[in-house]
Amino acid sequence: MNPIDNRALRRTAGVGLPAIACKAGPLVLALLLWLISPLTFAFTLDDLQKQLSAPAVVKGPFVQEKHLRALPQPLLSQGQFVLARDHGLLWLLQTPLRQDYRIDAHGIARRDPSGWQALPNRSAGAEQNRLFFAVLQGDSTGLQRDFELALTGDAAHWQLQLTPRSLLLKQVFKRIDITGGRYVQRIELSETQGDSTVLRMPESSGAADLSDAERSDFAN
Amino acid sequence: MPTERLLPRLFVCLLLAMLAVAGWQWHRGAPLSADLMSLVPGATQDPLVQRAEQRMQEPLNRELLVLVGHPQRQQALALAEKLAGQWQASGLFEKVQWSLQTDLQAVRTQLLQGRLAMLAPADRQQLEAQPDAFVAQRVQSLFDPFAGFSLVPNQDDWLGLTGRVQNSQPKPANVELDTASGALIAQADDHYWVLLRARTLGNAFDMQLPLQVADLLANARQQAEPLGAQLLAASGLLHAAAGQQQASREISWVGGGATLGILLLLWLAFRNWRALLAFVPVLVGMLFGSVVCVALFGQMHVMTLVLGSSLIGVAVDYPLHYLSKSWSLKPWQSWPAVRLTLPGMSLSLATSCIGYLALAFTPFPALTQIAAFSAAGLLGAYLSAVCLLPALLASAQLRPALWPLRITQALTQWREALLRRVPSGALLALVLLFCAGGLWHLQTRNDIRQWVGTPPQLLQQAQAVARITGYQPTSQFYLVRAADQQQLLARTQALGAKLTELVELGKLKGFMSLSQLVASPAEQQQARKALEVLPEHWQPLVALGVPEAALQAEIQQLQALPVQAIEHVLAGPLGEAWRPLWLGADAQGVAAIVSLQGLSDAALLQLQTQDLDGVQLVDRLGELNQLFAATQVSAAELKLLSCVLILVLLVMPFGLRGSLRIVALPLLAALCSLASLGWLGQPLTLFSLFGLLLVTAISVDYAILMHERIGGAAVSLLGTLLAALTTWLSFGLLALSSTPAVSNFGAAVSLGLVFSFLLAPWAAPRDGAPTPP
Repeated sequence: MNPIDNRALRRTAGVGLPAIACKAGPLVLALLLWLISPLTFAFTLDDLQKQLSAPAVVKGPFVQEKHLRALPQPLLSQGQFVLARDHGLLWLLQTPLRQDYRIDAHGIARRDPSGWQALPNRSAGAEQNRLFFAVLQGDSTGLQRDFELALTGDAAHWQLQLTPRSLLLKQVFKRIDITGGRYVQRIELSETQGDSTVLRMPESSGAADLSDAERSDFAN
Repeated sequence: MPTERLLPRLFVCLLLAMLAVAGWQWHRGAPLSADLMSLVPGATQDPLVQRAEQRMQEPLNRELLVLVGHPQRQQALALAEKLAGQWQASGLFEKVQWSLQTDLQAVRTQLLQGRLAMLAPADRQQLEAQPDAFVAQRVQSLFDPFAGFSLVPNQDDWLGLTGRVQNSQPKPANVELDTASGALIAQADDHYWVLLRARTLGNAFDMQLPLQVADLLANARQQAEPLGAQLLAASGLLHAAAGQQQASREISWVGGGATLGILLLLWLAFRNWRALLAFVPVLVGMLFGSVVCVALFGQMHVMTLVLGSSLIGVAVDYPLHYLSKSWSLKPWQSWPAVRLTLPGMSLSLATSCIGYLALAFTPFPALTQIAAFSAAGLLGAYLSAVCLLPALLASAQLRPALWPLRITQALTQWREALLRRVPSGALLALVLLFCAGGLWHLQTRNDIRQWVGTPPQLLQQAQAVARITGYQPTSQFYLVRAADQQQLLARTQALGAKLTELVELGKLKGFMSLSQLVASPAEQQQARKALEVLPEHWQPLVALGVPEAALQAEIQQLQALPVQAIEHVLAGPLGEAWRPLWLGADAQGVAAIVSLQGLSDAALLQLQTQDLDGVQLVDRLGELNQLFAATQVSAAELKLLSCVLILVLLVMPFGLRGSLRIVALPLLAALCSLASLGWLGQPLTLFSLFGLLLVTAISVDYAILMHERIGGAAVSLLGTLLAALTTWLSFGLLALSSTPAVSNFGAAVSLGLVFSFLLAPWAAPRDGAPTPP
């Protein structure tokens, strides 16, 4: 008697909008994951892509600068990251506050005194996981659906510019610029509102395997 | 004789008048309706409840939800886009939506204005009770690379309230936003499912629209198939289309089958093409029935037509009354035969009408319509049988076949032989034993779902859509009333707390309430007050370099924000999903709906309203099912009352003893068919009970025929046999209907007719025989 009633589905119309904003964070992360992989002799997107499956682990320090229009100084934060191809990403913020994050197949988790806590509000949905794994597996088609990709330079000094395709993403990002050499060195996200975020990873290095501590972080 | 010339002319005038009325009624299209809800009683007189019900029903009748599925994401998106374009061009829909391309600026504006009004309770409590933790969380979120981008720039919202509002908005269950296309996508069964929604211009009860929508969907399926794509659709429109197709199919079966069967029977029995004219009263009856029905109710429900088509078998009984006398009256002449059988026919009309009209006194508009249709139809059939048909048959020489008479003669002899060995009393005891056993097994079942024969594939699709999208809407909901918005939001919040417990216990899938979207005026005030002390706690933000002046200015701005009323929040883009819940203000105060997800135990839901003022559970289906059960009792009373009426009517011609006998037999027949339902494992539904009500009325007719014994027992039995066969043909065909209610009705009447025929001979007073029941 009662076929599905579309009423409840209408809520998606109202909710979809903030949902992208939530999604933008993981999207940036996904980009990061993709680009953080070493890129040797990568002149074309295909070449870039082939490099993605090479190293098992990349790690190093990062510096994040949040440039807000209203602040004379950017908000600075620093820490260490560990990207493991088969596991996910650890993002260990050290200053000005200590906070550990983890993104893997189950979504995003934050560490508190009692251990890793999944973040329910922003838990990775299918779309986020898709992007995440597209990136990990070197599938640039996943990114190309959302962005126009333009690659210039050579393997030692390259620049990649991402311009959002959809009206929806255009209302959030103006552009994403990534530069690097052997590893990704700098990611800059320019928001439509005028703020921007710069991520610098000046001293990344590859490793063959995870340390025991890192392994246990991914395991729990 | 002058009356024999006058009557046909008068009747032809009446007929022409009826035809003219019918022509006027139909000139603007068929006055037919397929609205199921118009068949059931308006459960409530409360206009607010009615409005809430309409609000909840509306999307069912106007919206079409389709999932376009393909293993390849892009293929699914491309097909959804293509179909959306085609449907938009079809002109059937007001809006076809497959992708959200909404203006984020409007959302930003609403978030800024709603920073206090739309703040979730947990966030508001933290702001009020733990300002340090509130600030610490804000600092953390500024560095959190996973926090995502707030739609509102940080400089406009240093305290991060819009981010909190944004994050507290309910997330679509299994549906994800595809950022590239703006489409909503779900993933299940190795397919990507793109959500395509369409809203029609008209509603499901326009007779044409559902069929057009069903055609459009069938066409879309044809396009999808070669692409390896799959479409799942859910909509009240599709159910309406299926119902209409089924109804017209069944009207053709029942009507066509009964017509053919009866014409064949007439030909075989009377072997004269003129006898086929006996079908004229049937056509006239149908005309009268539909004209009166449309005149009284403004329209006719398709179910009335389906059930009404069984009238064919009853209407043809009138001409059979006198046609069957051709076996005994030799030579048979139409007018004398009519005069001879007129009292019996009139009594039969009166008793049948009493039976049908008893249906009209039940609280079901469906049955009232059927009763009006049938009573008017019978009157029309009777009048044409008495006034017109004899003139048409005036010169007919009926030499009926002898085989039917031989059959009834044989039956009569068998019966006598049987009665010589077994007395009637013993037979009665056996019959009563049979009845007692059957009644012991009888079960009752009442469910509105019996009124619709939903094709299983529609149901499966709706279930698949519910599973894939995670939405399980239900017709149950709460109606909350209050004096003002403050009280309303407080009440919905109290209800929400109870419902949250049910959700946590797994007893309910979810719910939607205005208090999830907007805080009450008092709560908004409290939050505003909490801001006053915030400067004592915001040092960590200042330490990051956020200018204190900017924070100061923000606090002032927040305190200047006006208290937001419900309608204000609903007007913004974030309020869209909640808009149907708000019923607005009237003289008594304000009211809102709390909608539910996932069908739940009505008693449990009812329990939640205890100690909550102004909260009412509206469970229309549950109420209807209860009403069905209650109506069964009143139907039984009506049945007895109609018997008393018939008894009173029959006392004059037949005396008390004769009329008691004539009324007792149909009652026994009804009892026997009730018992047969029990033995067959068929449930007793409201419809089968109404069927039995009808059986009583019709079988009185047979008892009268047998009691009068015009032309001898065998000839009377033959008349009864012919009448029963024609009636049985049409009701028996109803039993084949795929609508459970209709088939149940047909089965009950068919069974009742068999027993009526078997018991009818006892209506005749038998010299020296033991008194039958």
